[in-house]
This record gives sequence, C-alpha cells and structure tokens, in this order.
Amino acid sequence: MGLLERQFEENVLTTRVDWLLNWCRLSSIWPMTFGLACCAIEMMAVGCAHHDIDRFGAGAFRASPRQADLMIVAGTVNFKMAERIKRLYDQMPAPKYVIAMGACATGGGPYYKYGYTVVKGVDRVVPVDVYVAGCPPRPEALLEGLMKLQEKIQRSSVLRRPARTA
Amino acid sequence: MDFRGILDRLRATGAPGLLGHDLPRAADPKDKKDKGRGGDPFVWVEPARLPAFLERCRDDERLRFELLIDLTAVDPSKDDPNLWVVVSLLSLAHRHRLTVKCALPKDAASLPSSVPVYRAAQWHERECGEMYGITFAGHPDPRHILLPEDWVGAPLRKDYVFPDEYHGISCK
Repeated sequence: MGLLERQFEENVLTTRVDWLLNWCRLSSIWPMTFGLACCAIEMMAVGCAHHDIDRFGAGAFRASPRQADLMIVAGTVNFKMAERIKRLYDQMPAPKYVIAMGACATGGGPYYKYGYTVVKGVDRVVPVDVYVAGCPPRPEALLEGLMKLQEKIQRSSVLRRPARTA
Repeated sequence: MDFRGILDRLRATGAPGLLGHDLPRAADPKDKKDKGRGGDPFVWVEPARLPAFLERCRDDERLRFELLIDLTAVDPSKDDPNLWVVVSLLSLAHRHRLTVKCALPKDAASLPSSVPVYRAAQWHERECGEMYGITFAGHPDPRHILLPEDWVGAPLRKDYVFPDEYHGISCK
C-alpha cells in the first residue's frame, strides 16, 4: 500500500450490488468442522500452515452448522451417518454449499459394490456443488475445489431479476 | 506350552465340550485340488458348552488364558450348513495361545454368551451377532454395535441380499 497511501481525496467506488454480495460471500466461506474418514486428514492439512486455506477466507472451521456456509463431506458416508448429515445440512443457514471430497463421498468409492452400509454418493442425501476427485484428494485438489466453488458463487445472481424470456 | 501340550492338558483334565482338534498340513502333491491347510492349529468345541470350556481354559493352573484376544465368526461357504465361531485366547503368564472353534448350524445359530467368563467378549459378541445373525443367549446388552438398530439381515453371511433402500436413501 506504500505507493497509494495518503495520496487521494475521499473516493467512491462504483460496482454492481450482485458483484459486491458475491464477493462478500465467496471471500468468507466458513466450513463446518467434521470429517468422516481419511479424507478428513487431508482436509486438516489444508487447514494447516503449509497449504493454508485461510488465504481464501475459508479457514474458520465452525463447530456449529448454524455458523457455517460450507459443508465439506470428507470421507465415507454410511447410512447411519447420512441421516445426521441431512440434519446438519438442514441446520445450516442459506446460502449454503456442499463439497463432496474424495471418491467415497462422490460415489461410494471402493465400497461401491460390496459396501452394504455405504451410501453410494452423498448427493443422494444433500445437493452437492463441487465434486473433488481423489482417494484421498491431495490438499491442492481440495483448494482447487474451493476455487471452483468461488467461481460458482461469483456467477450467481442475488438481487438481479432473471432475464425475461420473450 | 505348545499346541500339543495344551491339547494334552485339556484332555487330561477333561475339559468340558472338547470335540477334537485340527492341525495345519501341507498340500498332497498327488492331488491337484488339495491346497492343504495353513494357519493355526485349533480345537473344536461344542457350542452349548463353550463358556464352560473357556472358564476351564482361564482357571486351569497350567493353562491360565487370562485374555480373550478375539471372538469372531466365519461363514465358510454358501453350501456349508454351518457357521464357525472362532475364539482366540492368550496366556500372558505362560506365553501361549489357543484358537477355539465352534460349528453352529446356520438355520439355528445360537449359543450361550461367554461374557460371564470374559467380559471382553461383550462388544465382540455384539458385532458377531449383528454381522452373522448369531444369537448369544444371556448377553447382558444385545443391541447392535456398528449397524443401525433397525438394520435388516446379517451382512457378512454369504447368502445376504442387499437392501434396495434404507430410510428412503437408495442403496443401489
């Protein structure tokens, strides 16, 4: 800021309201604290200093669904857990987003055929915004998923009326 | 003591329910289909008298199996009419081990609980019961341990049929 500091009169920025709202939303995606399996270890690595999810404003892992914007489903979802995931998702305030992290959360993964108690993809329980491939995904892959989610949020419109169809 | 010594001791003291034993053996080179048998030597025990047998193993001065290492079951094959319950014992005092097996008919898979002898058997029997559909009579807390309480069927049986849905979530 050195070059810009104390160089100007009072300023006004002009932008679109939607752009501003989206920018606010995508810059502070707070995830919910919960991990289901080995993917959660990679998610913890993403939270630590080396990969540092805080750079994206998404490092504030909340202990309550009522304070969270993003649910990272990191790991194997079984039927016993699926109902609880649904309940947690319902408790999150809108706007809320879901990342399915890894093969298990995306489609059952290695348990697809013989996992009698594994849900074949968390999208059967809650709507998923971004799928992250890998078993488990590298921390970079999860960050990529987060960036994809930010792009998705940037494209959304909050106040703007949808274009009329003639 | 090695397996022979344990077996001799069990026989000499008239351990309740002891039926026989089985040893690993090499494959017969003349018989192509014979693969032999690896693994541990074990003793066959009558299911109804398993707790009494385990109590003898625990309390006999020369055996002293203080620890129940594992209690699980095997469904050997779809065509086999029996399930096997397998118990692993360890003696820290004498530094020896024993594997105990019981054959149970699949259509009436029930045996008395071993919890009065080894309290460690409690969770093992709950898991074994829900996974193989075995009833452990007299178990103090026979709830499911891993599966949801309303789960239907015993998933580790060879003839298990996967459910179509659970609480509205598709299983396919």
